[in-house]
Amino acid sequence: MKIIFPDQSIQTLDRGSTPIEYVLSDLGINSLEVIVSRNGKLVSEDTVVGADDEIRIIRIAHGG
Amino acid sequence: MCVEPAVIYLRYAKRHLCRAHLIEDIEQRVLLTVENKKLISNGDRIAVALSGGKDSTALLILLCRLLPALKDVSLVAITIDEGITSYREDTVHSAEDLTRRLGVEHHCISFTEQFGDTLDDLLKGRESQACSICGILRKKALNIGAHRVGATKLATGHNLDDEAQSVLMNVLRGDLPRLVRNSSNDSSGMFIQRIKPLAYISEKEIATYLMLNDAWTSLPECPYTRYALRREVRAMLTTLEYRYPGTMLRLMESKRKIEYYCAGSMVCEPIRRCRECSDPCSGDICQVCLLRHSLRL
Repeated sequence: MKIIFPDQSIQTLDRGSTPIEYVLSDLGINSLEVIVSRNGKLVSEDTVVGADDEIRIIRIAHGG
Repeated sequence: MCVEPAVIYLRYAKRHLCRAHLIEDIEQRVLLTVENKKLISNGDRIAVALSGGKDSTALLILLCRLLPALKDVSLVAITIDEGITSYREDTVHSAEDLTRRLGVEHHCISFTEQFGDTLDDLLKGRESQACSICGILRKKALNIGAHRVGATKLATGHNLDDEAQSVLMNVLRGDLPRLVRNSSNDSSGMFIQRIKPLAYISEKEIATYLMLNDAWTSLPECPYTRYALRREVRAMLTTLEYRYPGTMLRLMESKRKIEYYCAGSMVCEPIRRCRECSDPCSGDICQVCLLRHSLRL
C-alpha cells in the first residue's frame, strides 16, 4: 500500500489486509493525532486497508 | 441503524459515526454545552477569538449554524496578529477569508498597535518564555478588542484536549488556584465573560468536522511551541487517551469535582485592581504591567 505522510513524503508498504490503526502504530503514529483518508475518502482508524490502497495521513495538531 | 461508511471511531464512546451523524452529533453537543452551562443569553454580542487556526475556525462555523437557535445573539470575530513571522500571516488570511464567506464582522488587532512591537522582537533572548509572554499579551489584546466591539462575551476555541492539558499542567505545577479558577463565572463583573463552547469536543472530532465541511486548511505550526510545557503534556495525554480511552473526559470531571469541593473556600486570591492600570488582577500589579516593566514597553 502507498502511504502519503503529512510532509508529503511517500512510502510503499508491503502489507496485506490490515486495520489502519496497526499501520499507524507500526509507523510510530498515534491515531488520535491524525486523520486518515483511503483513496481520497475519510475513514475510521479501524477500517481494514489492503495492498492496493492509497493512504493519506493528515496531522491535526497545530500549536498556537 | 445507519449503513453509511464511518468517518470516525470515537474510542471513548465506542461509537462509529458517518459523515452526517458526526456533523449532527458535534452540533448537538455544542448546543447542549451552551445551554447546560448557560454560556449564551438572549441579546448577547459574542466576540469570537478567531486566530484562523482549526479550533477557532470550527467555533465560528458552529456558532453561525447555531445562531437560529439562540435568540437575538450577534457574532463578531476578533483576530490578534502577534507578529510571528512565517506563521501568523497565513492564519490571518485564513480568518479574513472565513469571515468574508460567513458574512461575520471582523476586526484585527496587532501587537505592534497595542504594545509597540511584534512578538518576534519582544521575545529576542527570551524565547523560552514565549508562550507565557504571548498568552498574557494576547489575553489583554483580546479584552481590548472585545470592549472595542461592544461584546458581552468572549468565545474561545479551546477544545477537550486543550482543557484536559490545562488541568494536568496546573496539577504538575501545583497551582490549585489556577486549577479551580473559572474565567466564565468568577469575574465579579470585572472581566468580559469568557466562554468555551468546544470544551467537550476533541481535537480529532474538530479536525474531522472541518474536513467534512470543506473548511480544513493545512497551516504551519507556531514556531514557539517547541519551548512549551504544553507540548510535552499534549504528547503524554494523547498517549494515555489512546491506551485508556476517556482519560481526558475523566480529567475534566476531576476538575469539576475539585471546583465543587473548593467552592466557598479561600483558594483563590480576591480580585483587586492593578495599582498602575486599574485592570482587574489578583496581586498589586497585573501581569501585563509586570511584563511592560520587564520588557521595557
